[in-house]
Amino acid sequence: MKRGIFKKRVSFLLMAMVIISIVLAGCSSSSSKKTGEWAGQKITVMMIGDFAMDDKTDPITGESAKGVKVLKEEFEKQHPGATVDFVLMPWEGYTEKTQAMLTSGEADVYQMPGVADFAPQGVLEPLQPWIDKDSEFSLDIFIENQVDGWKALGPDSNELEIWGLPFLGDARFITYDKELFDQWGVEYLSDYPTMEEIAEKAKQMTGKNPVTGEQNYGIWFRGDWSSAFTLVDLAEGQNGRWGTGFAWDEVKFEFNSPEMLNGLNWLLDMQNYAPEGLVSNQGNEKWLTKDNNIAIMLNQGPGDTVKPAYAQGLGDRIGIAQEFKNADGQGGLFAGSPIAIAKDSKNKELAWEWLKFATSDFTQKYVYEELGLVPAVKSALEWDSVKEQPLMLPVFEAMKTPMTPRYPWGSSQPRFILTSEIEAALTGQRSAEDALEKAQKESTEWVENR
Amino acid sequence: MANNRMEANTPPPSVSPSIQTVTKTTKQKKRTSQWIWYIFLIPSFLGIILFMAYPIVESLRLSFFKSNGTIETFTGLDNFRTVLTSGPFWNAVWNTFFIGIFQVIITIPLGFIFATLINSASKGKNFFKVIYFLPNVTSIVAAAMIFQFVLHPEMGIVNFVLDSLGLPTPAWFSDPSTSKWGVILLAVWHWIGFVIIICIANLQAISKEMYEAAKIDGASSFQQWLFITIPNMGGTFAFLLITGWIGALQRFNEVYVLGGPNGSPARSIQTMGAFIYERGFTGFEFGIASAATYIMFLIILVFTFINLKISKLKL
Repeated sequence: MKRGIFKKRVSFLLMAMVIISIVLAGCSSSSSKKTGEWAGQKITVMMIGDFAMDDKTDPITGESAKGVKVLKEEFEKQHPGATVDFVLMPWEGYTEKTQAMLTSGEADVYQMPGVADFAPQGVLEPLQPWIDKDSEFSLDIFIENQVDGWKALGPDSNELEIWGLPFLGDARFITYDKELFDQWGVEYLSDYPTMEEIAEKAKQMTGKNPVTGEQNYGIWFRGDWSSAFTLVDLAEGQNGRWGTGFAWDEVKFEFNSPEMLNGLNWLLDMQNYAPEGLVSNQGNEKWLTKDNNIAIMLNQGPGDTVKPAYAQGLGDRIGIAQEFKNADGQGGLFAGSPIAIAKDSKNKELAWEWLKFATSDFTQKYVYEELGLVPAVKSALEWDSVKEQPLMLPVFEAMKTPMTPRYPWGSSQPRFILTSEIEAALTGQRSAEDALEKAQKESTEWVENR
Repeated sequence: MANNRMEANTPPPSVSPSIQTVTKTTKQKKRTSQWIWYIFLIPSFLGIILFMAYPIVESLRLSFFKSNGTIETFTGLDNFRTVLTSGPFWNAVWNTFFIGIFQVIITIPLGFIFATLINSASKGKNFFKVIYFLPNVTSIVAAAMIFQFVLHPEMGIVNFVLDSLGLPTPAWFSDPSTSKWGVILLAVWHWIGFVIIICIANLQAISKEMYEAAKIDGASSFQQWLFITIPNMGGTFAFLLITGWIGALQRFNEVYVLGGPNGSPARSIQTMGAFIYERGFTGFEFGIASAATYIMFLIILVFTFINLKISKLKL
């Protein structure tokens, strides 16, 4: 008797679960549409950063920012019958998550800063054929250097090819506090300053501020995470370079070159005009506040500068100068985010449509105006919203002149080797010469043993 | 003996068919109900297979391959050779042991002393228990971020106090020679509440009669503590030593927050866990990372075995 009751209960529970599953699946927004030119076609787009599906409040400005549902609505309106779903993730651990998603075929379109690492794996769709056959599309829409910067080697190619289109722009530059310059009576930085100019002005502005009496520091730079890029830019400013090659079997490092050594010695000298805590990302807590005590900041990015500066009411107080450039006018880290199509995407036509949509003014305006991210298209220079924030102009200038293609070792072991050795030099563990010799030796061994 | 013989010679009692049927049905029911419970175990069993057993086996397989997650080449024991001859790996082992040893040898005695004081307090026992246990329920990631400010070289409260007392102010996380001590301070602060609670639990379980007998024999409070309390705490100390040591060897979260995957500054706080993360998840060297994981597993196994032998803990 009891057994019968138990069986009935189990059957009832199973039935209930099946019904709930069917109802939930039926209610799901990802069901395909059955009418329209793109009927039944669906793509999944992976995006990284502060994107949210629904509207949210910006933690810096306190203003409301629209969610990516705006993009979904517009794209689906422009492509009747099509459905787009999103996988949104934070920057933390994005490389391993991207790798996992690619392996399991989770999405059709990826925002992919590590395109140079993924393209050789044969998991991405080459974009040149799509560009060639689409007469409506032109690479001329992008800011100079942006397309070249994301070129990478494919699984079988010896030449750099296009695997991703620029989606978000980024740049590295030098920022400075005009108010401190005024208080010290020092002339603002020139648009393209030299190492000598920076050093001289940093020295002048270290000590007790003549107006406020507060302790000021001439310069600040990250001595840990991004120090390898700061040092390589210093070498580029002296017409040096990190090395040569793009494919690992062709890469030759020049970490111990005279330009790199001179650059590291320069950083060691500049450390005397900086607050304590460079190698632990400390000492810059007052930057972008009205109590700021640092005159010049090296290797800064737009995300940490433009929007926070305007949000704090410091837009007029901050100045932007370009990083150190070589004789060809190039130098500094190329950064940002391209978007790429997965090789195993089942709807590549629609995925290509998304790529065009993501690089159109509609989406590019959305990422700039709603999220404060940097657009990658030339037309942005004409937008009113850009003109209202003059700090964006030197940012766009900086986007045109980084070293391209992106440093192939930028997220690999040589970067960490070089960073650790810069830290060792900055903390007095080793001399600059020994540190760079060690970095050169270990990086070369790493490449040879790969 | 006689009873046994008698039992052996006695014919089996006759069982009526109705009783036999009842026994059979009961047995069947028992078997069915046992079988039903296995169904309920399936979800957790599947979870263990998918999220524990499979990754462990897959990681072992990967350790013999050069793999970036997609492209794989069999390399035999090359990854193990690379890890074992890598300077940064042994530096990470040294950092892990240095931080772990000092965490354990500072926290267990200190926690025990605090536990004894709290246990002997006449008032406010629960208040002190809560106060000391609070750090342990705080997320280690949040705690690490707070410690960056607490140990800030210029604006930190610790250096402010040291400076007020006329003592030298270290650069803490900005200097490789002091950064490990910063992590040890954080680890001690975070773990001591747990040690105190476990010690108090044991202290309360020690029989009061033993102390009363000792008092009658004229033992002082210190002698009671030394000859009754400490010997009775052996099992707890062993438990804390083993769990603390295993946790210390797996240290990752706080050093990742404080120094990133390469344990800045100058790899001074990079632990074995951080080394694995750096090679696996920032450089796509999954084979190297897997080999390092198995080497770390062997190191933990050996030291846990030694700890068990030293502490004579019976598991």
